[in-house]
Amino acid sequence: MARKKAKKKEQGVDMDMTPMIDIVFLLIVFFMVVTELSVQQAVVILPVASEAKVEEPQPRMRVLVVNVSFDKEAKEIVQLMNGPPLTTKELEAELKAEAVAFGQWEDNPFSADPEKRLSKLQVTIRCDQGAEAGNIHKIFAACQAARIYQVRCAAVSDRLEDPYIEQP
Amino acid sequence: MARKKKENRDPGEVETDMTSMIDVVFLLLIFFMLATKFKMPEGALRSYLPKNRGESNSRPVLSENCRITLQVRNGQVVAYADLNQVAQNEYLESDYEQFTGIPGPNLADIEAHIQNRKASYVPLDGTGTLPVVIDFAKEVPYKYVIDVLNICARTKIDNIAFAQPGVPIE
Repeated sequence: MARKKAKKKEQGVDMDMTPMIDIVFLLIVFFMVVTELSVQQAVVILPVASEAKVEEPQPRMRVLVVNVSFDKEAKEIVQLMNGPPLTTKELEAELKAEAVAFGQWEDNPFSADPEKRLSKLQVTIRCDQGAEAGNIHKIFAACQAARIYQVRCAAVSDRLEDPYIEQP
Repeated sequence: MARKKKENRDPGEVETDMTSMIDVVFLLLIFFMLATKFKMPEGALRSYLPKNRGESNSRPVLSENCRITLQVRNGQVVAYADLNQVAQNEYLESDYEQFTGIPGPNLADIEAHIQNRKASYVPLDGTGTLPVVIDFAKEVPYKYVIDVLNICARTKIDNIAFAQPGVPIE
């Protein structure tokens, strides 16, 4: 208010910067959130598969990502999400712990034993296309030991796509 | 400048100078704009594991399944479709060449074989689709496993099994 009074007296021009600051803050918040998302996963060159489908996350669904990538010495490493490199035994223990922590189970059609119930947890394998497929054997074995059967292999539908365009 | 003439203002009024805040906010904005790399949309192929832990395969007649075997021989990935060797690709696929450069089998031949088997498949119990077993050696690049899985998805085959080493399926 005081400023407006002063303006009239001085014949000066004063800008109201409030809307600009609003927008700039919105932009900052947007970019901060988006940046956070993009660094969550290991850098992996995924194989191309034309039938790979982008699945929207459903409520009450938990997807664990197992990354198989190359470290700086071009050695293959297996990580659960963004965690440290794991051996097969460690991965199995981690998956078992996650399945228990998630705590949602479905009946096993082949066994009435409650110890053999299947976890509703899902696992997506993000494996570098040049990595040895033997890693997949190990991850499958670890998933089965943790009674997780919903496993997916990540792939991109097209290498030449523009990453800024959403897939159908 | 005009604003700084304090004699024009009510001495009880407090005004913040927003210039420095806007400077910092713009710096932050530019930093995040440059640092942002948008995430590529990633798809996935379903490869659900058998619910009975896979060790005891209870399919009644296993000889009727279609077995795709991938092996590495002389620096090449060699494929067998039901024990018949698939022709090799004459050229390297351009997007793969730059990563490992291992030439592979002709995927169109594998697809044609699976299509043929699927067309002539008669399920013994009257239901279900052709079972496909993907048997790959551990040193095969992952890309080729996904290629075969992709062919199965394209030919609408949902009965896919992965042969585990040390767990004979046949």
